[in-house]
Amino acid sequence: MSGERNAPLAGFTVVEHAEGVAASYAGRMMAVMGATVIKVEPPGEGSGLRRAAPLLTRDPAASALFHYLNVGKRFVTCNVGSSDGRRLLDELMARAELFIDDTPVRRRPALRLDPQSLAVQHPQLVFLSVLPFGAAGAHADYRAYELNVFHAGGEGYLMPNGLTLETFPDRPPLKIYGHFAEFIGGTSAVCAGVSALLVRDNVGGQFVDVSVQDANISVGCFAVQRLGDGVLESRHGRSFKYGGVLECRDGHIGVLTLEQRQWEGLVKLMGDPEWALDPALRDPLERSRRGAEINERLRAWAKTQRVDDLVKKGQALSVPLAKYNEPADILESEQSKARGIFAPLDLPVFGSVPAFTAPFQLNGEALGVTCAVAEAGADNEAIWCEWLGHKTAKLEQWGQHGVV
Amino acid sequence: MGSSEQVAKPGTEMPPLHGVRVADFTLHAAGPFCAHILALLGAECIKIETAGRPDIFRKPHPVYGRMGAATFDQVASNKLSVELNLKDPRGVDLAKRLVAVSDIVAESFRPGVMDRLGLNYEALKAVKPDIVMVSVSASGQTGPERGYAGYAPLFGAAGGLGTLTGYEDGPPTEIRHVMDHSTGLTAAMAVLAAYLRKTRTGAGQHVDVAAREVACGFIGDALLQFAATGVTPRRMGNDAPQIAPHNVYPCTGDDAWVSIVVADEDEWRTFARVLQRPEWLTDARFASAQMRWTHRRELDAQISAWTRGRSREEATRVLQAAGVAAFPSYTAQDIVDDAHLNERGTIKSMVGPDGESRKVAGPPWRFSRTPAKLDRWTPGLGEHNHYVFGELLGLSPEEIEDLVQAKVIY
Repeated sequence: MSGERNAPLAGFTVVEHAEGVAASYAGRMMAVMGATVIKVEPPGEGSGLRRAAPLLTRDPAASALFHYLNVGKRFVTCNVGSSDGRRLLDELMARAELFIDDTPVRRRPALRLDPQSLAVQHPQLVFLSVLPFGAAGAHADYRAYELNVFHAGGEGYLMPNGLTLETFPDRPPLKIYGHFAEFIGGTSAVCAGVSALLVRDNVGGQFVDVSVQDANISVGCFAVQRLGDGVLESRHGRSFKYGGVLECRDGHIGVLTLEQRQWEGLVKLMGDPEWALDPALRDPLERSRRGAEINERLRAWAKTQRVDDLVKKGQALSVPLAKYNEPADILESEQSKARGIFAPLDLPVFGSVPAFTAPFQLNGEALGVTCAVAEAGADNEAIWCEWLGHKTAKLEQWGQHGVV
Repeated sequence: MGSSEQVAKPGTEMPPLHGVRVADFTLHAAGPFCAHILALLGAECIKIETAGRPDIFRKPHPVYGRMGAATFDQVASNKLSVELNLKDPRGVDLAKRLVAVSDIVAESFRPGVMDRLGLNYEALKAVKPDIVMVSVSASGQTGPERGYAGYAPLFGAAGGLGTLTGYEDGPPTEIRHVMDHSTGLTAAMAVLAAYLRKTRTGAGQHVDVAAREVACGFIGDALLQFAATGVTPRRMGNDAPQIAPHNVYPCTGDDAWVSIVVADEDEWRTFARVLQRPEWLTDARFASAQMRWTHRRELDAQISAWTRGRSREEATRVLQAAGVAAFPSYTAQDIVDDAHLNERGTIKSMVGPDGESRKVAGPPWRFSRTPAKLDRWTPGLGEHNHYVFGELLGLSPEEIEDLVQAKVIY
């Protein structure tokens, strides 16, 4: 596991005041990269995401999503709508380099969480605002969840393609699993937040306005580029002409041969069948034209094959193909183990559970996860009293008044 | 090129990576997107290619019906271009000299290629001890499957994201370019953090990004759920557990849709009022979130009857005015025409060297003091040979010409 020596954000303190997935994911990645991330939740039951699907346990509701998003963070409660609570938040911000917030724009002035107020009070603080449509513009106060921002970013309209679309041509567009668009927003937010930290010594703090929609348009920029080329993409026109998802005897694989040698490898993998040796099919344009015919043959052949055989033999022939892995495959694969992408996490009820850490290594080592999610306010004593110097009696008093 | 002393100063409105130089060896989509993000943030990004095997956008792409080179490539925009033949040792030497005056190196060859070229992290550290390097590949630089070939849909497959995407009664589903570009975005995040660390500690780092692991990151909650409970998550179309209505509904017009999500009781009451369906609030089938989810298909049918008589924009306007989450399913045309996005600079107009004007995706962030920027069209192959080899590396025009003739600068 990568220790402190590789954690790139070690030494930075981040205050995260976030209800949504995108901002929470930004905080997660900063925590995994070594920052001290203090998550501020409302007193009582804490963030609503603690009870969001998918669930680890139903009663009490414990969210796998929340656990994933908040690994490695510290947890305090604070009613930022109260004057004492807001003061406490100020104290935290005074000790931090970066503040992540997803309070809706219309509610920010009343909470003194607008950029102008924070610029005056905390001029050295990077204010990383993460909202579905950003903090400025006609849609800034629009309400949106994952499905809405996925469609606002353009990829929603373009899904699905290939076999799924052929199977169900008349169904509505299809979302990508989970919180893809919001994770994109969170990743984009980290890029911006870290960039602002880079120049903080020179220019001071600043307001960084991150929009989940903007992030998804950026990641989906190919559709905008194609439009500039004169082609308005749709899910019906975007499918690969041949290849794609193939059903095998024991699962599914994906195959894509964009280069000539890859096609030739695929022909070899199929055992040089007569139909594929048709000289006309050596021409990629002819293959595109006869894509439906090729797919019919490919699909019939794949149904007689086993997934693992195809992946091993195909990759040895440099044919780009992959198994559609289930979670069990990923957890158990030798590749995952060699890469160390799972680290043990102590979960209530379940004990030690392998948890995904991060999709990259630093200096040849995987990143670790330092600690599992604790209850809302679990670190109140440590943060409010031990770190900020308040008396335990005061903390109890705040607790009685719903401040923490 | 020292970076810390050349970053933006107060009031100068320089982008955050002003003064940072990137030697960009990446090709295709995932790696170039990483370097493109750095370029949007203000880095001077030098794209290294060879005429012997130029990047994909410079060639015909029959799969997309493009029979010549692209006139514009988003992920190559904002970059400078040099030609370098890395099969020639003199090309490798020049690459090292370029790295010696750079802060960040990005590459996306298949694992092992940079080793064979003599340009791996250790070799580059020898010429620039604090270099920060990012390698983007399908499965990472290590492990038994490190050499596996792949494209975006295959990263999504191996990483499980494609497996969990699809209708519950259908097959797994291909994840397309967004898989490449989200890998690039993740790589940019990690390399930016590594670069920040370098400015504080003086120590470089090698960032090794695996595209299939990026896909795993998008299903981290499902992986945790499975690891803890043994329950294998399934494909669920547009459904979200616990939440209904949660779908995409047909509107007036061809292939026109609006996404609607009603996540809590307040939103449900508002939604019923806006759709003028007070009876929903006393209907036992819809009495709780759980009941609405159980009867979600009946709800979907009734909601579709309402949306079918309206445009996407009208449905969105009416629902958002009441505080219900709704938004049209945007096409690329909708995106470039959207006033909000044009005002934010998310969409920008650019004019190419031949006078071609087009809308492009601008920087996806707004910095109050150090704005990001997109101000360079896709560079021509080798367009900046003289600036890079001459001004930066100090070669004379004659030396450059000799290397061109020798097909080293090629």
